[in-house]
Amino acid sequence: MPTRQIVVFLALVLILFVAILELARRRVLRVEYSWLWIASCLTTVLFILRYDLLVKLTDFVGGVVPTSVLFFLCILYLALLCLHYSIRISALTHQVKDLAQEVALLRLGLENADTAPLDAPGPRLE
Amino acid sequence: MRSELLITLPALNEANNLSEVLGALRVSWPEAVLLVVDDASTDATAAVARSHGALVATLPFRLGYGGGVQAGIKYGLRHGFPIVVTFDADGQHDPLDIGPLVEAVRGGADLAIGSRVLASESYRGGFARQWGRSLFAGLARGLTGLRITDPTSGLKALGPRGQALFALSRFPDRYPDADALVLARRARLTITERPARMRPSRNRRSMHGGLGAVAYVFNMLFSLFVATTGRDLHRKE
Repeated sequence: MPTRQIVVFLALVLILFVAILELARRRVLRVEYSWLWIASCLTTVLFILRYDLLVKLTDFVGGVVPTSVLFFLCILYLALLCLHYSIRISALTHQVKDLAQEVALLRLGLENADTAPLDAPGPRLE
Repeated sequence: MRSELLITLPALNEANNLSEVLGALRVSWPEAVLLVVDDASTDATAAVARSHGALVATLPFRLGYGGGVQAGIKYGLRHGFPIVVTFDADGQHDPLDIGPLVEAVRGGADLAIGSRVLASESYRGGFARQWGRSLFAGLARGLTGLRITDPTSGLKALGPRGQALFALSRFPDRYPDADALVLARRARLTITERPARMRPSRNRRSMHGGLGAVAYVFNMLFSLFVATTGRDLHRKE
């Protein structure tokens, strides 16, 4: 790989890396997601510095063009990441639903505690 | 005396229908506790419900039909109601049909469903809906041996065991349908049906219309697959 390319791409990865660290420091990005992105950066650096590893990988999987193998792995990685997010969103959807129901029921309990004396006629709520 | 019957109505912008529905319920079931689960309505649904002496649980944002029904069932479960009836707020159910369902639960059923198929002179919806209903009823029967004619019915009575199942976090919370029945069957609940006459919904926009209906069928087919083959709902993550 030409030196110019190496420098440009290393600079890009470095910017991304710093951005991730800064997001984590501001607590915008949770720690468990930070390491995922840091690992992605390091893998990218590895392939920038050691193009021969990519060629070996291409031979290993029976690929023809190293760049194709790289693109394929990137797409696979992103697809898996999306799947992971879908799973997280599913879990969050359940949690948000449960919380919303909880808020509605608690609010109802509070309203009734305010207005209805315990010995009032009508339904007893606790 | 503490009431043993909770009638819960999930309601989204039903201020126009709710008055009549709650009035009719009050006349037929004076001793029941009425709970309107207001699905973040933008109209006067909550105010109308309160003016009829109903309890109102207002959701902070819209959860949809299943989420509203489930909130009502959770309330019933927590306050120890032996029987919770889910009733639609749009006026399509008849308060008198609650009677046989309540009797069925008193008689030992965990889940009693009001079926418009069993009622001779009920509105049953257009061709597509009847077809969908019999498709899901047939699938539920094929998958579990359960003979239920109207799995889409929103009119249900639940005993404590039924309430506990329907209140689980991962219970189908969009439109509990044949998938809910399959889960109830797998949980070994006693399920039964009683005739219920239904009227066409007064809402212009129904819950399942147009492309939504197609999506609904595919969602339900997949949900049935999950309900039939999936992990036990009680199992922790």
